[in-house]
Amino acid sequence: MYIPHSLYQPGDSWLHHLHPLTKLVFSLAAIVIIFSGLGGWLSAIIVGLLTMLLLWLAGLAGQVVRSIFQLLALLTVVLFLVHGLFNPNNQTILLELGPFAIGKEGLVFASTIVLRLAASLAASLLLVFTTHPAQLVQALTEVGLPHRLAYLLGSPLLLLPQIAGRVQIIQAAQQARGLETQGKLLQRVRALFPLVAPLVFSSLVDVEERSLALEVRGFSAPNPKTSLNELVDTPTQRIARWAMMLLAGLLLAVGIWWRAYSGY
Amino acid sequence: MSLKEQLRKDFSTITLVLMAVAIVLNIVLGQLVSLLKLPIFLDSIGTVLVALLAGPWAGGLTGLLTNLIWGLISDPVAAAFAPVAMVIGIVAGLCAKYGLFKKWWQAIISGVIITLALSIIAIPIRVYMFGGLTGSGADFITAYLLATGKDLFSAVFITVITDNLIDKIVTALLAWAIVKGLPKRFTSRFPRASAVID
Repeated sequence: MYIPHSLYQPGDSWLHHLHPLTKLVFSLAAIVIIFSGLGGWLSAIIVGLLTMLLLWLAGLAGQVVRSIFQLLALLTVVLFLVHGLFNPNNQTILLELGPFAIGKEGLVFASTIVLRLAASLAASLLLVFTTHPAQLVQALTEVGLPHRLAYLLGSPLLLLPQIAGRVQIIQAAQQARGLETQGKLLQRVRALFPLVAPLVFSSLVDVEERSLALEVRGFSAPNPKTSLNELVDTPTQRIARWAMMLLAGLLLAVGIWWRAYSGY
Repeated sequence: MSLKEQLRKDFSTITLVLMAVAIVLNIVLGQLVSLLKLPIFLDSIGTVLVALLAGPWAGGLTGLLTNLIWGLISDPVAAAFAPVAMVIGIVAGLCAKYGLFKKWWQAIISGVIITLALSIIAIPIRVYMFGGLTGSGADFITAYLLATGKDLFSAVFITVITDNLIDKIVTALLAWAIVKGLPKRFTSRFPRASAVID
């Protein structure tokens, strides 16, 4: 069974050395601007190209394009087919294929959606590819995320390989006992509980133990926590973060205003 | 009890550990049952479990974080549906709070309620961000409905309901059965569980 560990790609590019918050704010601002709908697909193209330029400077453009393709290829085909053929707004017929007609409006709609998704994926992969999850969690705690929430973000990443290992053992064990995983629908439905219950129960069993272990190590202690690793931040990045947030907020407001008045 | 006290009680250390485990179960269980080739994903069973044991806020947070972590480790698209996962947890917790998770048939009703509630959030996300399609088998339903002259919103509405109804009913039933099967020693650590067990 394939269990993804993380999309993080270890490396030494300039994007890897940026403060995690800078990249997080960039991704979020990019997505807000893309979906502000300003200029239809124009905002998506500008933000997408800018993101690709930044990724290219870090030597990551190829990998990101490959990932976007993997994640969006199927959806893109479906979007163009379904909206080209059946979009209710189709007026201008571009091509007739027997009983089917491909409409221009549907294709334009589909390409806007694909462009937006591709651009926002590029922006989020910029963050995810170059930031170790632990660094992101640490950066968030430094700006005031309660450490209990930080635990919730970090702990599952460490638990995942352990529990995934248990999945394989349970699958093998129940099949060895003669559990029917093929055959009629009713048989397969009956196999559901014997597969799910052992994993859930066995994972819940150590919940109490884990929480005791945390308490013993001062998890609920109110005093400030210190960190082993230091994150590097610069005044330039701090200014850049504020600038990006301001720009995104401004463009979002303009986008809403523009939509309300252009009736788009 | 003030809101702050209630939150402190709802998010005790043992609840936090339970939530972390539940997030992993959400991610892993879909893969485990995929070998049965049933039309269900079970990617919110951990969320519903937390909702039954620790209430709507803990349940909602579990759903939200599941999808954010999913976005971090395998597919950023999952993060876009984080609000949907959050609603599943909140609504399941509310159903349990108001006594809709005591009997097996009540769990089925809760599954239906969860499906209706999540569709309110899922439909705008699907329509505005993804053009109403997801690149999965459910797109056939949407395409067929559009071909018969339905508008995009109602086509997606019907697709979301048919796609989720069985999954959420099975999820609610399994979560109910699991909570019932947990040892008293364990459930007694979660004050909210009494709404399901008695």
